[in-house]
Amino acid sequence: MTGININKNSVILAVLVVLLLLLPMVVTKPYYLHVIIICLLWAYLASCWNIIGGFAGQLSLGHGIYTAIGAYITVILFNTFGLSPWLGLFVGGGAAILLSLMIGYPTFGLRGAYYALATVAISEGIVVLLNNTGSIGRFTVGGAEGLIVKSVGSSAAAFQFNSKIPYYYIVLIMLFLIIFIAKWIKESKLGYYLVALREDEDAAAAMGINVRHNKLIAGAISAFFTALGGVFYAMLIRYLEPNAIAGASMSTQMVFLAIVGGSGTVLGPVIGGILLALISEIIRFYLGGQLMGLHLFIYGMIVLLMIIYQPRGIIELFEKIGRRFSRKHNDEGGRSGAEDPSGA
Amino acid sequence: MQKTLLELSDLSIKFGGLTAVNRLNLKINAGEAVGLIGPNGAGKTTAFNLIVGVHQPTVGKVIFDEEDITGLAPHVVCRKGIGRTFQVVKPFGKMTVLQNIMVGAFVNTSKKSEARLIATEIMEKMSLQGKRDYLAQNLTIPERKRLEMAKALATQPKLLLLDEVLAGLNQTEIEEAVQLIKTINRDGITILMIEHVLQATMAICSRIVVLDYGKKIAEGSPQEVTSNSEVIKAYLGDEYENADS
Ligand SMILES: Nc1ncnc2c1ncn2[C@@H]1O[C@H](COP(=O)(O)OP(=O)(O)OP(=O)(O)O)[C@@H](O)[C@H]1O
Ligand SMILES: [Mg+2]
Repeated sequence: MTGININKNSVILAVLVVLLLLLPMVVTKPYYLHVIIICLLWAYLASCWNIIGGFAGQLSLGHGIYTAIGAYITVILFNTFGLSPWLGLFVGGGAAILLSLMIGYPTFGLRGAYYALATVAISEGIVVLLNNTGSIGRFTVGGAEGLIVKSVGSSAAAFQFNSKIPYYYIVLIMLFLIIFIAKWIKESKLGYYLVALREDEDAAAAMGINVRHNKLIAGAISAFFTALGGVFYAMLIRYLEPNAIAGASMSTQMVFLAIVGGSGTVLGPVIGGILLALISEIIRFYLGGQLMGLHLFIYGMIVLLMIIYQPRGIIELFEKIGRRFSRKHNDEGGRSGAEDPSGA
Repeated sequence: MQKTLLELSDLSIKFGGLTAVNRLNLKINAGEAVGLIGPNGAGKTTAFNLIVGVHQPTVGKVIFDEEDITGLAPHVVCRKGIGRTFQVVKPFGKMTVLQNIMVGAFVNTSKKSEARLIATEIMEKMSLQGKRDYLAQNLTIPERKRLEMAKALATQPKLLLLDEVLAGLNQTEIEEAVQLIKTINRDGITILMIEHVLQATMAICSRIVVLDYGKKIAEGSPQEVTSNSEVIKAYLGDEYENADS
């Protein structure tokens, strides 16, 4: 039975990958491709958040600081020194790691909501700071007016393309990378340790797990890749605005998408990210101009309903359907499907 | 001469005005099985928490395997070779039985395949193989108790601290668990167990220590301890002793 499933899954996967690779040939309108790119970016960011928020169960409500620090540092280095964003992203990512350690070190040793509170406080602080900092020495930060990425025309080295197609492939690679990393973590000792400490910190410690150390590692990995998402956003939009890149909407969106999709699973945040971002974009397209905020209201309602009726995430729905399908398939082959012992 | 594996000297802790453990001295030899009994609130669980570093002692020392481990963090103490179970069991609910046990096995290996091998062996020893892929949150009480022991065993400890693993089991289940603990002890793991089920404790332990109000009031063979008047008083109250005399 498992043999059949594995084969079927890899076939589905292969077909999906080929379809995704060919997509820009079908979707030729830049606007549609842009929407798809944004959906994939949200799927990517939700997956980044999931490493600390889902696997390790540490509720970060301020992941916008990592997108912001990655984006701002990379753009400032590019604008000031002409340093290629491909190199700048390592500086931005490194800074995000440092920031995650600075927040995590004092709070991960404490019980309760300290970490969540610290992430909210610091992200609010950083938004205010960005809004009020015009420049630091010779580095232009842009303040509330925002920071424009110096335009150099189409240049791969400068991470700037006139066509949307390269951005599409870059974000697709990023998404595959984070899925691969999430899967690797989940299957490794680190993944076991993260789930264990999420379930019970005392029991985890009694079994030899250095709880704070493992949280810090998960937090650093999550921060680094979130920062790369920020860099991508910066080079796609070419304009950084503090509230958009660092604000509460950025931070909470990642959390929503991951939870609605199924936090703590590898593919849940991907599915949540793509579906919800798509719904949000469609609602905005049809209703955006009619009533201020109506699209946000409807979007909020959809998120709420999903949390109420599908609390373990959309991924569970997919799994159920998949299970039913494979059971039917097996019955036809003269075998009865095995009960799922871990079922609800 | 027998080797001392664990030595507690003057171990004490105060919670505000309450001295929960009061100058506890205890030596346990490698290979022994020792019982720790006493009325509710006597300080038994607190003594465990002092040994494994959940609480820092106000005074006193914990020497394990000739090393001073007083006040080391729980995860470090575990890696020194002390496994413990919790009175209120703490399964990782969203993990399967095998995964729960593998977490412990990762103390001695970073390879998933090796961890699975170690865990599978312990799972079979604890008769949990039938529940291998069940989520821990779906187990029955006796199964949870066995899982709790399996998790501690998976870290491959020299000393195993068991906190009321027989509580909540019926007579047959207790007998099975007693056999299991005896086997673990025979395989070379030293045991210190807190237990209210006296019969079972006597069946397993060659020596019993009695705590009352944080103090050790008796120590000796099961017969010695159960005929000790202080112990009878602690368990049944002064009136009983008065009426008896
Ligand atoms: N963290 C703590 N803070 C304050 N008081 C505590 C703490 N832990 C235990 N105590 C107190 O210390 C005393 C000993 O508690 P402990 O849990 O060690 O008893 P016990 O012998 O294990 O009892 P039982 O048989 O009921 O499990 C109790 O009076 C308890 O209320
Ligand atoms: Mg107790």
